[in-house]
Amino acid sequence: MSIRAAERKVVAIEPLPEKYPSNWMRFWLSFRRSRLAMTGLAIVIVMSTAALLADVIAPFDPVEPHYSDRLVPPGGAYVLGTDELGRDIFSRLLYGARISLVIGLVAQGVSVSIGIVLGLLAGWYGGWVDDLISRLIEVVWSIPGLMFLIVVVTIFEPTPLTIFAALGLIAWPGQARLMRGQVLVVKGMEYVAAAQAMGASTLRILIQHILPNAIAPMIVVATLGVAGAILTESTLSFLGLGVKIPNPSWGTMIDIGRNYTVTAWWYAIFPGLAIMITVLGFNFIGDGLRDALDPTQYD
Amino acid sequence: MTKYVIRRLVQVVPTLWGVFTILFIIAYLMPGDPLRAVLGEQYHRLDPAVVEAAKEEMGLNDPFHVRYAKFLGDLLSFDLGYSYILKQSVADVIGYRLPRTIQLMTGGLLVGVLIGVTAGVIAAERQNTWSDYGLMIGALVGVSIPVFWQGLLAQLFLTQDRYGIAIFPVAGYEGGSIIHMILPSLVLGTSLSATLARVTRSAMLEVRGQDYVRTARAKGLPWHATLIRHQFRNALIPIITIIALDISALFTGSIVTETIFSWPGLGRAVVVAIERRDTPVFMGILVFGALVFIIINLLTDLLYALINPRIRYE
Repeated sequence: MSIRAAERKVVAIEPLPEKYPSNWMRFWLSFRRSRLAMTGLAIVIVMSTAALLADVIAPFDPVEPHYSDRLVPPGGAYVLGTDELGRDIFSRLLYGARISLVIGLVAQGVSVSIGIVLGLLAGWYGGWVDDLISRLIEVVWSIPGLMFLIVVVTIFEPTPLTIFAALGLIAWPGQARLMRGQVLVVKGMEYVAAAQAMGASTLRILIQHILPNAIAPMIVVATLGVAGAILTESTLSFLGLGVKIPNPSWGTMIDIGRNYTVTAWWYAIFPGLAIMITVLGFNFIGDGLRDALDPTQYD
Repeated sequence: MTKYVIRRLVQVVPTLWGVFTILFIIAYLMPGDPLRAVLGEQYHRLDPAVVEAAKEEMGLNDPFHVRYAKFLGDLLSFDLGYSYILKQSVADVIGYRLPRTIQLMTGGLLVGVLIGVTAGVIAAERQNTWSDYGLMIGALVGVSIPVFWQGLLAQLFLTQDRYGIAIFPVAGYEGGSIIHMILPSLVLGTSLSATLARVTRSAMLEVRGQDYVRTARAKGLPWHATLIRHQFRNALIPIITIIALDISALFTGSIVTETIFSWPGLGRAVVVAIERRDTPVFMGILVFGALVFIIINLLTDLLYALINPRIRYE
């Protein structure tokens, strides 16, 4: 009896086998190895910090004109030059980062949420639910996106809310389709059958078992989608349909600046660089995520 | 296969209906009196009674369901209506503009395929070398660069002497001459070339490990023969699929490209029509664009089914 107790004790204090790295740890180790992905992460962090701390960093007020300093070339007090009203382009870019990042993230959030929910429902329930959602996917897929956005923004005025909603409502079909495919694969897994056998509710199965196992490619697509949303927003702004607030978005700056390309090249060049670098940052991250999350990728 | 084709064709009907309904609701919500757009300054000098009568005649006072039924009926008889502003039917506007957009899209497609496929093949051949990394980073830059900004850069450096050299005209159509096509095509084709470079690279790499490629090499065929006949031909399926899918992206890209380079195509017409509240014109082009997208989707799906028989039995 006492020997048994001793045995038990020995078993109990025996150290556990060395812990395997968790999935997140493995993902991070793989992600960290990608130089491009880390560059992208750095870009996005710098841009987000710039946007958050615009009040602190900006050397000038972004909307206050300095009529004596119109179209001053870069260098000197105005690092990136001034615009046609003598406003500091660097400060305006910092504030513009807020618009681009917030619109990119929120619009993509809307789109991914719709995509995930509809994809889950279509994949899980199949049958007429799937038919209905698949038709809906195809309908929205078939509408020429940019034209739709131009029309919608003209009708409802370009408030941030309109742009979030319009961008989000047009971008989800690809994501829903992807999610549906993922769910169809995961649905056949044994652990789902096991959960069902144990009497788990549908909601619980969807959230606890299907979602986490189907989400990986969605993360990649969503990251790339943020890049796409930032590009689309800047295109709308460039066409004169950007958010109407005193701080201009990057696309609006290019739209106005292109009238001065010959006299003041910096006006349209720097906002374009800002857009490209930010979008590149998200694309780098998306690429790194794809490699880190996909164990089958070999090239 | 026949069964699959029929099922897929039947599915187009509800899709068309859904797209048309959404587009109709947009047009219905469009603010701004179209009469004002038609009449311009005269509008204010007119007798309100006359305005009211004209509105009545144009069917602008009809209730929602009557206008909806008329909209669907017109579409079914392929009638896109008349422009409020131009003295032309919408079909004529499209008939005039479409060939010009197709011309530009062909230019963009050529640029995209030539640059993209070449870059992809080179990157795959030189996998994990600096030229591979360079090309793939270049491809990521290519998808990240805003189309309109790229157009401005091209105009800044290649059309005037102040900062660059004046090789190309700034903008314009001029009967669609080659010299006017080059810059817009380059700008339009960049993003496609970037996508294609990546797809071509991974398709080529996938094929390279196959036994038949090794056999071809082993029997002493020169590398260019195996590269083209054994690798490239078998890597074509994903490449063609991406091209088909990106036709719609080219169409969207042409809106911006045509705006920058004053190219008289459909994209430019849409932007102008929306500014002028010329509802029939932009609705007509939207409907037309959606039809093209639906047909492309249909063809892509059928192509898939042809290539991959498993899809037919899903």
